[in-house]
Amino acid sequence: MKTYKDITGDGGSNIVEQVIAQQDRVKARMASVRHTVAVMSGKGGVGKSSVVVNLGSALALQGYSVGILDADINGSSIAKMTGVRGQPLETGENGVMPTAAARNLKVMSIDFFLRDDNMPVIWDAPTQKDAFTWRGMMEAAAIRELLSDTEWGDLDFLIIDLPPGTDKLPTMVDLLPEISGTIIVTIPSELSQFVVGKSIMVAKDLLRTPVIGLVENMSMHICSQCGHEEKLFPGGIVEELAQRHGVPYLGRIPFDPRMAVCADEGSLYLEEYGDLPATNAIGQIAQRVGEFLNR
Amino acid sequence: MKFLCVECDQPMKLQDTKGPDDGSMTVVFACPECERQIAMLTNQMETQMVRSLDIKLGGGSPQAEPMGTIRSSLARGDDAYAPSHAHVETDQKESGSKCPFTGAVADAFEASGEIVWTQEAEERLGKIPQFARSMAKEGIERHAREKGYREISDAVMEEVRDQFAM
Repeated sequence: MKTYKDITGDGGSNIVEQVIAQQDRVKARMASVRHTVAVMSGKGGVGKSSVVVNLGSALALQGYSVGILDADINGSSIAKMTGVRGQPLETGENGVMPTAAARNLKVMSIDFFLRDDNMPVIWDAPTQKDAFTWRGMMEAAAIRELLSDTEWGDLDFLIIDLPPGTDKLPTMVDLLPEISGTIIVTIPSELSQFVVGKSIMVAKDLLRTPVIGLVENMSMHICSQCGHEEKLFPGGIVEELAQRHGVPYLGRIPFDPRMAVCADEGSLYLEEYGDLPATNAIGQIAQRVGEFLNR
Repeated sequence: MKFLCVECDQPMKLQDTKGPDDGSMTVVFACPECERQIAMLTNQMETQMVRSLDIKLGGGSPQAEPMGTIRSSLARGDDAYAPSHAHVETDQKESGSKCPFTGAVADAFEASGEIVWTQEAEERLGKIPQFARSMAKEGIERHAREKGYREISDAVMEEVRDQFAM
């Protein structure tokens, strides 16, 4: 009796061909993107989206054309942080136009498709019972569509904001023809470093994506009056975490409450404040990211 | 998934797809030699999994409206967690589906067990505390189905008044 491998094709369902066609659409769209950068952290609450917005903003200010894709389907915040939430999407000849958050900075998020501020992402189904069996696939399909159906145009950088955890990077590796590099974000606490160590392992050793480096966020608080530096979290030296895993240390971003205010108001911190320790730190990190990818 | 005619040792070919009906697809395969047919019947979960992949059984999915899957698959209602939400309107009908299969699935979901609520009944439902509304709605629709009603009116609400404290 014939086995699965003896039979070519699937008798006419054409599932494989359709999946390949979906992949081809993503590939065609990504052809105009020079560098695709995934920003991740195993730990939630480390300011990953904040790093994404500020990094994108810094690269845009340096003259690069930048797109940000919010791949945090269930916790999308990029549209609000960049002040474009609620803007109507326009459909162009080849897809949906991303919204312009600033000069050289475009944004796409599932947030644009949600009915109102309180509406979470819930997928239409006859029943939500046992939805765990298909919800992950639905989210991956949504991310694929956000990638393929957005008319990104020519981009130097597409920065992808991943949700906390290590499971979405493998999804991105499957969906994208190539990931130019990953950036991993941590705060100095031992707990965060403990969890983020696993993220580095996934990105570098298991998926073998080029790790651009580790960003230390909320490294300290600098008094705006006297310049006194104070640690916010106890914990080991983050450079040592990077060294232990053999990945570059991209730099530390001090905590600045004005950054949170900008995120709440939807204004770009780097455009609001020129010369501050945190803005300079972000600028240096952006410089290092550019150097890593353009080398 | 592939199907083999054990008697002829021949791979079976897709003949027809039907439905979905109540969230179930019927996919018919036939042996090219003996012409024996079999039907694969999917349950709601399996149908939803195919929908989640944005693929069409039996053919390629035509490139249509951008972001069609997201637009057509995001639930619009606050009561999406209620087991039946046939009244929830999606953009599917307005915009057309990107994929005939998923379009048909969505149509079937909307049509399944379609029960119309009168304005009066909806207003009365709105008076039930929000945390209990979905459960009450589900129970009232179940009651209506059991009784064979196509419409939930004030009179139907009266029938279940004690049960749902309305």
